[in-house]
Amino acid sequence: MPRPGFVLDVDRSTPPMLFWHGEKFSLERLPADRSRVIYPAESFPGLEDPQSAIRDALENPLDMEPLRALLHADMKLTICFDDASLSLPKMRRPDSRQRIIEAVLDLAAEAGVDDVHIIAALGLHRRMHDYELRHVLGDRIFDAFAPNGTLYQHDAEDPENLAVLGETDHGEVLEINRRVAESDLVVYANVNQVAMDGGWKSLVTGVASYRCLSYHHNPESLQNTRSLMDRHHSALHHSIWRLGKVLRDSGPKVFQIESTINTDAFPSPFDFLSKREWEWTARDRMTYLATAKTLDRMPRRAARKIFHGIEAPYAMTGVYAGFTESVHERTLEDVYRQHIVEVEGQTDILTLGVPFISPYNPESIMNPILVMCMGLGYMFNMYRNKPLVREGGVIIMTHPTYRDFHPVHHPSYIDFFDEVLADTTDPAVMSEKWEKRYAEDEWYRHLYRTGNAYHGVHPFYAWYWGAHGQQWAGKVIIVGGDPTAVRRMGFTPASTMDDAFELASDVVGRSPSITHLHVPSVLVADVK
Amino acid sequence: MRSKRHITKRAQQFAGRAEQTIRSVAKPLAKYGFPWRAPTVPRGIEVPEKPDTLGSNFETDWARRPLASVARSAFIAGPLKLMTAVIARPEVHGLDRLADLSRLDDSPPLIFAPDHHSHLDTIVMIRAIPPAWRQDLVVAAAADYFFDKRWKATFSALALNAIPIDREATGRQSADLFKELIDDGRSLLIYPEGGRSPDGWAQPFKGGAAYLSAKTGVAVVPVHIEGTGAIFGKGMKRPRPGRTRVIFGAPLTSFEDENTRRYNARIESAVGRLTEESVSDYWTAARKASTGSADRLSGPETASWRRKWMLTDRRRREVSGRNSRPERDWPNLGPRSR
Amino acid sequence: MRALQVQHNVRRFGAARLLSVTSPKASARIAPVHLRNVDDPPEPAGLGWSKVTTRLAGICGSDLALIDGHASTYFEDFVSFPLIPGHEIIGELESGQRVVIEPVLGHAARGSVPPWESAAPADGDDYAHLVRGHLKPGIQTGFCCSTGGGWAPWFWAHESQLHPVPDDMSDETAVLVEPLAGSVHAALIATQHTNHHLTDTESPIIAVLGAGTMGLGAIAAVRGALPNARIIAGARYPHQMRFAKGLGADVVAPGDELSRAVRRMSGAHRIGASLSSGAHATINAVGDSASIALSINITRPRGAAVVLGMPGDTKLDLTPLWHREVALLGAYTYGTEHIDGADVRTFDLALALAERIDAERLLSATYRLDEHVEALAHAASAGRRGAVKIAFDLREDH
Repeated sequence: MPRPGFVLDVDRSTPPMLFWHGEKFSLERLPADRSRVIYPAESFPGLEDPQSAIRDALENPLDMEPLRALLHADMKLTICFDDASLSLPKMRRPDSRQRIIEAVLDLAAEAGVDDVHIIAALGLHRRMHDYELRHVLGDRIFDAFAPNGTLYQHDAEDPENLAVLGETDHGEVLEINRRVAESDLVVYANVNQVAMDGGWKSLVTGVASYRCLSYHHNPESLQNTRSLMDRHHSALHHSIWRLGKVLRDSGPKVFQIESTINTDAFPSPFDFLSKREWEWTARDRMTYLATAKTLDRMPRRAARKIFHGIEAPYAMTGVYAGFTESVHERTLEDVYRQHIVEVEGQTDILTLGVPFISPYNPESIMNPILVMCMGLGYMFNMYRNKPLVREGGVIIMTHPTYRDFHPVHHPSYIDFFDEVLADTTDPAVMSEKWEKRYAEDEWYRHLYRTGNAYHGVHPFYAWYWGAHGQQWAGKVIIVGGDPTAVRRMGFTPASTMDDAFELASDVVGRSPSITHLHVPSVLVADVK
Repeated sequence: MRSKRHITKRAQQFAGRAEQTIRSVAKPLAKYGFPWRAPTVPRGIEVPEKPDTLGSNFETDWARRPLASVARSAFIAGPLKLMTAVIARPEVHGLDRLADLSRLDDSPPLIFAPDHHSHLDTIVMIRAIPPAWRQDLVVAAAADYFFDKRWKATFSALALNAIPIDREATGRQSADLFKELIDDGRSLLIYPEGGRSPDGWAQPFKGGAAYLSAKTGVAVVPVHIEGTGAIFGKGMKRPRPGRTRVIFGAPLTSFEDENTRRYNARIESAVGRLTEESVSDYWTAARKASTGSADRLSGPETASWRRKWMLTDRRRREVSGRNSRPERDWPNLGPRSR
Repeated sequence: MRALQVQHNVRRFGAARLLSVTSPKASARIAPVHLRNVDDPPEPAGLGWSKVTTRLAGICGSDLALIDGHASTYFEDFVSFPLIPGHEIIGELESGQRVVIEPVLGHAARGSVPPWESAAPADGDDYAHLVRGHLKPGIQTGFCCSTGGGWAPWFWAHESQLHPVPDDMSDETAVLVEPLAGSVHAALIATQHTNHHLTDTESPIIAVLGAGTMGLGAIAAVRGALPNARIIAGARYPHQMRFAKGLGADVVAPGDELSRAVRRMSGAHRIGASLSSGAHATINAVGDSASIALSINITRPRGAAVVLGMPGDTKLDLTPLWHREVALLGAYTYGTEHIDGADVRTFDLALALAERIDAERLLSATYRLDEHVEALAHAASAGRRGAVKIAFDLREDH
């Protein structure tokens, strides 16, 4: 039985804590008697037989007829799936999406469906490489559908292939992929790694146009998203749910399949990363020392290769199918059961070890904007009720924050960093002044549609993702970060954790309370 | 002459100086905490216990696989034989009582139930038990002595084919295991006293051997071991080589309407009779047993000095009495405690 | 029963001592202390013995010194191996009454005639009884193989050793009564020595070195006995400083600043390493050479330096002692105290003190017997790890 997550009060017997530091990690000693560390629950056991669990979910969907009954020979069937931003790190094969889509295709074949399209629902993310599609979908699906052009990726900038389905009472226009809009049945295969994923968000963002996304991907709604992991208090999700209602009323029939995974993110020998420090065995300590020392001396490129090569031994913990909203409620329950840790009260300083990966750089470089997005966007948002850090408190992140950008994946990020951040770090101002130019830049559009680049506007979205955290924190310090890059983003660089605490004392006084979010492994703090 | 106390004092002073030296040398090491050293556990944290794989939980199946059996045979035939010969010089009597069984093509398994004075008993017994049963012999050994360290546990399982039994807990689990092993055709060496004798007299027999015999129908062979207590008795630090004697009794089986308690008592008195036989002769022992005047195996219930006194008398007639120690006129008060 | 037993194994003692420098855990592992099945000790001869079931049993500095080979050979004849340690015990009688044990195995327990009627076990000026009588040699329960000790499920205790615990006192508080009794005894020796030297208007200065359990207890006890005393405490770690302040110290300073703190308070000159005047009395709850030398140097001439922590083999320049005519006094355990002409048992004072200072907060962690390596390592580095007292918890529901 996995042990639940808990809050550790740091005392003088507490060993130093593990912090991610990009492609490295470090052990930092937190001040005794005023620090606490939030540990996630241990990884839940996976389903014994995921294959039959999926079949069972398809036969017994929630608030919908069984998939078998929805399929008939002369129909248009479209299967959409989450792109490479899930899961992190990528799960070892077979991926949950492969299992799900194969089960769906089996039924479709039985029913004699001929017109099947499989679409990667990547929104404004970069197109996946073929090898990524093979990894996610498996060779069987790829070889059967890719050659004849029925496995392809959504294109949010193709006016020919977008269709308007309607408008919400807030004036938001639902514009999505034409094939999806005109299908008789849309099946969506999800991987719900965190509570933010899934529900109407899958289709409404995954196959939407830039225009449609900009209704909720903007500074105002993200500043009112409290938090991303709690859809009932998220302006972003409210807007998406409104659009979902339009989709439900005037769109195609949607059969949603959501699957949850456990938190078993690291294979041996990196499995010590998910262990509690005082339970590290001699072998774990040796592995830590060996890897930490090696990574310190290793070129960044090589270290990145090692980490992005990790295939997580995630296991599927649950799968539900049927009507989107009913399915999502069940999924959320499961996700929360694994992730929620109850925490008493807020803190003056929140410390975050920022890892080598975020949803926007699979197989790629964690550039400074993504460090901000990961720290203030994702990790800061790992809460329910209220943030872990008090309003005006200090957030300390550890990451090298080097000025490296992936030229193929993140072309607009480079210009965003050089031009936009040099001008302003205020999301509202940049949205007003710069967003349109980047969104409509022909070159970026070309790279997004034909290459493997994120959409021109994507660095803005990444920045908005951290808008709530940026607004909430009195000061953000990045330990070990490249000073110019960190300053450019409006944060404070510090060379060591102790320095960071000294710098923080301007804001929070000499003996602040400190909370450390212990990652890896995901958790959502339910702050009372 | 320098007294022992003086030497201890000196040793302690030396240790003190060594400690100071280490302290100054090791000073730079102080900054190497976790992960160079093992972590300490924060207050209030319960570290889940790793399943204990030692003691009575020690897994011994591997020791009965063919390769291990071969290794054991070699060990018993070589080093163990030599060791027994040097330390214990055993003489074995009463094997004729088992001769009929051992001549059968497929000798039936037996439960050997000797009295228990020393950890040496096991080694002596393994050598004394006829080859027909030795190869498949399983020894019930105290989990807290033979299985408390990994090397000891491995050695005990490999060399002695020992199986850990927990003396404290009630042994339903081990009883089931033994039953299984006996059903497999293995013989068993079990000490019904459950522990070594503290003073030279035996302790009351526990019902384990009787229970197993009654359940499985396998015969119990009462055995008396003599002399091991003087060589390496309870509380002794190192063995003092001497002579030993092992006497096998006739196999017993449970009567139809006999309960385990009475059967157990019968086994106990059989061992008692062998003890008597050892210090006097077969005929005296038989007569004493039939008239009910035999000494109880566990000695008279009298003041402790008289128990010891009587034991002294007996010791003199035992094999260990033949270990000449002419300078001593004092009564033998059992093994020296230091 | 399964108990922690210490055997007399000189090589292991030596190895443990050397390892204790670098790794308390390795030291505890190599030390000749093992959890094993121990034959139940027979009831000792004489009257008044009862079985006590252990609830909590503390780990004392003297236990550690014994286990990791620091103990003086002086005690060799006063203890009997193999022994089960543990003398800071809250236990339970068969009647269900909870008791704390006054561990000294005194006259009554050994069947000798007490020095006076109603004398406490440790009273009297002849220690011959400690090695005679019904029991094997042993100064206290926990150092004598006949009675057993607290690091076991049960042990034998004599009626002269039993002190009932009030029902409203928690086990966690009660387990600290024994060490606190030692502190009270030292504090009373110090304060009684102080009284001779005082003018009516002067409030005495008492310095307490060391802020482990005993040192903290001594601070509290001095504060209780002499409300107007000015107490300077030497403490090294932040939590010790906090406790020292909380228990009544006026000034708390790290060890190396202590001498200056005493000088400032007493208005003395500093001459070389020593003060021209200094504290009226010092209580040394550390016990090593450097701290005893410091105690003497900061005690005013003709004052008293009380040694409470177990000193062991120390090297001292006694010139200051001789020149300052400082009384160097040992404070071993407890017994009968004479306060304002009345006789009081130290243990009764300690029970009251434990109640008053809510001693429970000094108990930092408890372990099961099978975790003894961790427990001993934790106790050996208690200060560094932010702890004060470590104990074994043998209660069944814990």
